[in-house]
Order: sequence, then structure tokens, then C-alpha cells
Amino acid sequence: MKETPPIIETHALTRDFKKTRAVDSLDLSIQPGELFGLVGPDGAGKTTTLRLLAGLLDITSGSAQVAGYDLARQAEAIKRKIGYMAQQFSLYGELSVLENLSFFSELYDVEVTELQERTERLLSFAGLTEFKDRRAAHLSGGMQKKLALACTLIHQPKILLLDEPTTGVDPVSRRGFWDILTDLHLGGTTIVVSTPYMDEADRCSKVGLMYAGHLVVCAEPAQIRAQIEGDLIELRSDDWQAAHTLIETLPGVLEVQTYGDSLHVLVDSSARRLPEIAAALEEQGVTYRGIRHAPARMEEAFISLIRRMEDGRNQVFKKKPGFEED
Amino acid sequence: MSLRHLRAIIRKEINHIIRDRMTFILVMLTPITMLFIMAYALTVDIEHIPIAVLDFDRSSTSRAFVQRITEGKDLNLQTYMDTLDEVNDLLMRGEIKAALVINPAFEHDLLSLRGMPLQIIIDGTEPATGGFALDQIGGRADAFVGELLAAQIGEQGRALSLQPIDLRVRTLYNPSLKPRVDMIPGLISMMLGFPALSVALTLAHEREHGTLEQVMATPVGRAELLLGKIIPYIIVGLINVIVIPVIAMVTFHIPFNGSFPLFFLLSAVFLFAILSMGMIIGVFIRTQPAALALSFLVIFFPGFFLTGIFFPIASMPEIMRIEALVLPGTHYAIITRGVFLPGVGLDVLWPYGVMMLGLGIGFTAVGVLFFRKKLG
Repeated sequence: MKETPPIIETHALTRDFKKTRAVDSLDLSIQPGELFGLVGPDGAGKTTTLRLLAGLLDITSGSAQVAGYDLARQAEAIKRKIGYMAQQFSLYGELSVLENLSFFSELYDVEVTELQERTERLLSFAGLTEFKDRRAAHLSGGMQKKLALACTLIHQPKILLLDEPTTGVDPVSRRGFWDILTDLHLGGTTIVVSTPYMDEADRCSKVGLMYAGHLVVCAEPAQIRAQIEGDLIELRSDDWQAAHTLIETLPGVLEVQTYGDSLHVLVDSSARRLPEIAAALEEQGVTYRGIRHAPARMEEAFISLIRRMEDGRNQVFKKKPGFEED
Repeated sequence: MSLRHLRAIIRKEINHIIRDRMTFILVMLTPITMLFIMAYALTVDIEHIPIAVLDFDRSSTSRAFVQRITEGKDLNLQTYMDTLDEVNDLLMRGEIKAALVINPAFEHDLLSLRGMPLQIIIDGTEPATGGFALDQIGGRADAFVGELLAAQIGEQGRALSLQPIDLRVRTLYNPSLKPRVDMIPGLISMMLGFPALSVALTLAHEREHGTLEQVMATPVGRAELLLGKIIPYIIVGLINVIVIPVIAMVTFHIPFNGSFPLFFLLSAVFLFAILSMGMIIGVFIRTQPAALALSFLVIFFPGFFLTGIFFPIASMPEIMRIEALVLPGTHYAIITRGVFLPGVGLDVLWPYGVMMLGLGIGFTAVGVLFFRKKLG
């Protein structure tokens, strides 16, 4: 696996907007056939990265190769090899499902002889056959996303670049969409998908975490989960604010994360700290229930990583000379 | 240039025009609505101008003179005044547009052939109305004096047979000098500005809605994309080119003396040029409100004021004359007036057609050159 050259590779890829550096010296290497998840908080540079790879933005500095073409010089050649799906719905609402598909098939120069078969296959693949004459604007959000995906697949690209394809889509449609992506992945298409959902990151073959324009971590999901320090304890409390404040001060507690009324506590050793936490809560009269040891998920791992990153940044910020003078 | 790409963009855009109600209204109904508004606004021939008379003479001659001045339906005698202050007051309040001040020596001077002591006051805030009143009063005063003179000479037993000047005016092409007969052909260029506005808006619309981003991610060429945007609006513009003259002729009795195929051909060239202007706006401007504002600034206002429809180009300062030359509307106004009224042919109009074609090619080249398949 290691010997095959990467299908997408960037070196110190940088893109500046007027006042911000959206992508900062990004080094990315994606193998053919990978289902690569790009995750990170809003403003981390995911959309800019995907737009750069799709040839839709000029590079400020650095270099990138996509499907063997140089991004700075051969952007138009790359466009034939990739399918790009923007974050917002960007098809023609007044055109029907079928008209949208045939519009993009012509722009991608799909052979007329293959068009019929390919259109039918994509329609059934996306579950849109019975809606083929409906205007795109009148489809549900989930169906619009599937149609957009079908339009990016019409020329059978080697690489798919998908920018948050499931944002704003209900959980069932989301699952259906990911089943399609998994099928494509198994069929050998290289997919780069950005997502704010950690359960989706878990379905990727490799995950890259972006933060402030950098690629912070790039590994398989299991490896990322393993990066989490210590064990996870989960508990619920009606007075979760009091519980949060109390638990934070206890020995052996690394981090406390809040999910609604439940708290996820990262500790050095759950076997040792779980009884201690329970005792401390009882002593202070904070009611709680369902305290248990839980396996760490992608979500905790990322929040933990990002929190460490932000702490680091704040410290650098505070240490800046001259900051406290005025 | 891939014809398949071009055809796909054109077909998509035509579907958009037909199915998007706002676009349809803008390109198909607005020009016709504008034709009606303009035609009715310009119908108002100048009539019933209120004037006042301040007669210090109060003689039979002065009364006959006033009667003579106001016998047509263009000038209405509103009132007799006694003082100049009253006249000023009425002028200020806009109740009269002009006033006649008749000198106490009016009859005496006139009958002793010493002249005609007469003052005319006009409201300069409405030069068209005031000027018209001035012309009418002046003309009738001349005639009045002439008749008086003839009568006096006749009394002396001699017939006046010699007029000092025998001026016979013959107005060609628009004999009644009706403003709308010459304005409506001139204003067709403005009515066809709406498809150009649509081109500017549709590019901005596609940027705003992200559809342009999706299209930019495909291998479509820049020229294919931009020409594919213009051609559908040329087609709908040409529908207007058929409909507008028909309405102008049938409803407003504007004569059409030239060749319709020639008019159609030159209109197509004009549409190409003006739509390329709209396209340039769409290439540079990212949002619809900004595209709308700039279209008015670049297409409509100069189209009204610099193309010679309202104000003669010959009387403009040189820099404006040069600017007028790069506006397709300047050439098209000459063409429409030429085709509608005198009915001239290609032998006269070809230089204007060539100019418009050159401008269109130039604008399109600028648009394609500066359009980049990049965001941000």
C-alpha cells in the first residue's frame, strides 16, 4: 500500500484571503481509493482546502498535485478527473432532476451512447428514479444532496471532493447518503469528504483534523481514538453545572466535557477515579445517576484535541511580549 | 469552443428565463410596459398653458390683441391682472406659466407705427412650456401687426402686395412634429436594455446561489459559458424587436417606413453589443443589488442622456461625444430613427451597424478575458 503514489498530495499549500490565512502550509497526502474525512471546527479551513483541490481558488503559495496534474498550472485538466460538490445546494432549482443530470453530463462530455444507461443507474443509485421529472427546487434537502452527488458522478470521476454533503440533512437520509459513499469507496473511488459529524468521521478509512488552517492529526479513526489520554467516565446529573465545577477540581481528572445533561470525564484511570468521583458528588449533595465507564468515541477525542490546541494557542497569546503593557 | 457545452448552457438559460417568473417579467414584459409608459408620457402635446394679462392700455386695440393671442387652445387666458405684484405672485405659485404686460401706450404707438410696446414674462423653471408660449405669442403678435399695417395701408387706398419674407417651412418625416413619433423609435434602445440588465443579474444570481461554483468545477470553457449566457437573451430580445414595432405602429400610429428585415438584423447586432455590456458587469460584480445599480449607471442613464435621444450629441462637450460613440445606443438611435421615419437603407446605416458590431466584439473580448473560473 505504501508504494503507490498518493493521488492527492500537497506541499506547504497556503491560501490567504484579505485578512486571514485560511489554509496554512498544509501537507496532505491521500492514497488512491481512500475515504478521507476532513474534520475540524468551523473556520478551520476545510471548505477552502476542498475548493483549492477542486481548482476553484488560486493558490497563494505552496504546491499540490491532484490525479497527477499540477494544481497551479493544470487546473482545467484536473476538473475532468474530479467530482466536486459544494456545501450549499448549487444545482438549478428550475430544472428537473433529469435536466440537471443531462446538463452536467454535457458539460463533462459524457458519451451520448453511455448517457442513457449511466443516468438510469445514477437515478436508481440515488433513489431518485420516481422523482426524475420533479424540479430540483421541490426536492427534500436529503434528495437534493443525492441529486448533487449524482451530478458529480455523471462523468465517473476518479476523485470525489465533497464539502459537508450531509449538513442539514435528517439522520435517515444522512445514513443513506453514507451508504452510497461506502459503495463508491468499495468501488475504488477516492473520496475526500468534510464533515462536522464525528460519527461520520468514524466511517472514513482515514481522518484528517484541521485546526486554524493546519492539518493537526491525520490517521485512521482507531488511531485517533487511541490518542485520547486516560479513560472515559460518563454520568448524568440534574445539576450538571455544579457537578462540572466539582469534578474539575478532583485529582486525576484530565478534562470534563458536557453533552446536554451528561458529563464525560476524562481521567487517568477509571477503575480508581470512578468511586472517588461518586463519593465526592455524594459528599457535596450533588445528585447524579448512571455513572459508568464508557469507551472513548471520536467525538471526545476531537474535542479533547481541539481543546488542547486552543489552550496552547491562548498560552502563546498570553506570553506575547508587550501584551500586558496597556 | 465546444458547441455541445454552448448548447447545454443556452438550453439551461432558456429554461431559466421561461420558468423563473421574475426573469420572464424583466425580459419580456418590462420593455413593453416601458413602451406604453413612454408613449403616453410623450403624447401630451403642449396645450392649455395658463397665462395672465396685465393690460395698462385698456384700449380696443389691446383687447383685440389679447383676443387674438388666446384664440387657439394652446394658451388659456387665466385672468386679467392689475399690478405686476399680482403677476409675480401667480407665477410663483405656478398658476400661470407666462404673462403679457401691455404698455399704456400700446394702441397709440401701434397706430402711429412706432412699434409695439409689449413685455412677455415666462416661467423659466419650465423652459419647454415657457418657450412654447413665447414662440406662439411672438408669432401671433407679428401676424397681428402685419394685419394692422395692411389695414392702414388699405385705408390709404393702396393694396399691400409685398411681404418682406415669404417663408414656407416644410418639415420632413414627422410633419406634425409630434414628439412621440421621433422619441419612440429612439427609445427602443432603452427598452432593449432590460435583457442586458438580465444578463448582468443572472451572472450575479448564479454567484449568489452557488450554481456558478458548481459550473466552474466542470471543464466548461469561459467563452462557452459567457456566450451561452448572452445568446438566450439575444433571442428573447429579438422577440421584443418584433413585438415593440408592431405595438408602436398599431397602437400609437408610429410610421414604419423602412425595411423590417434590415431593422431586425441591426437590432440583433445592437442586442449583441448591449448584452455584452451587461455581461461585463456580471463578470466583475458579485451581488445582484450591485449589478442592478451598476447597470443603471452604465447602461440606462448614459443610454438616456448621452445617446442623442433627448439631447443632441452635437451640442455636447467633446469628451461626452467620445463617450457617446462607445455606447451602442448612440448608433442604434440613429438606426431606429432612420428606419422608422425616412426609411433609409443599409447604404446609409452600415457604418453604425459596423460600429455596434465592433463594440460588441470588444466588450465580449473584455468579458471573456477578465472572467476567471475561480472563486474569491
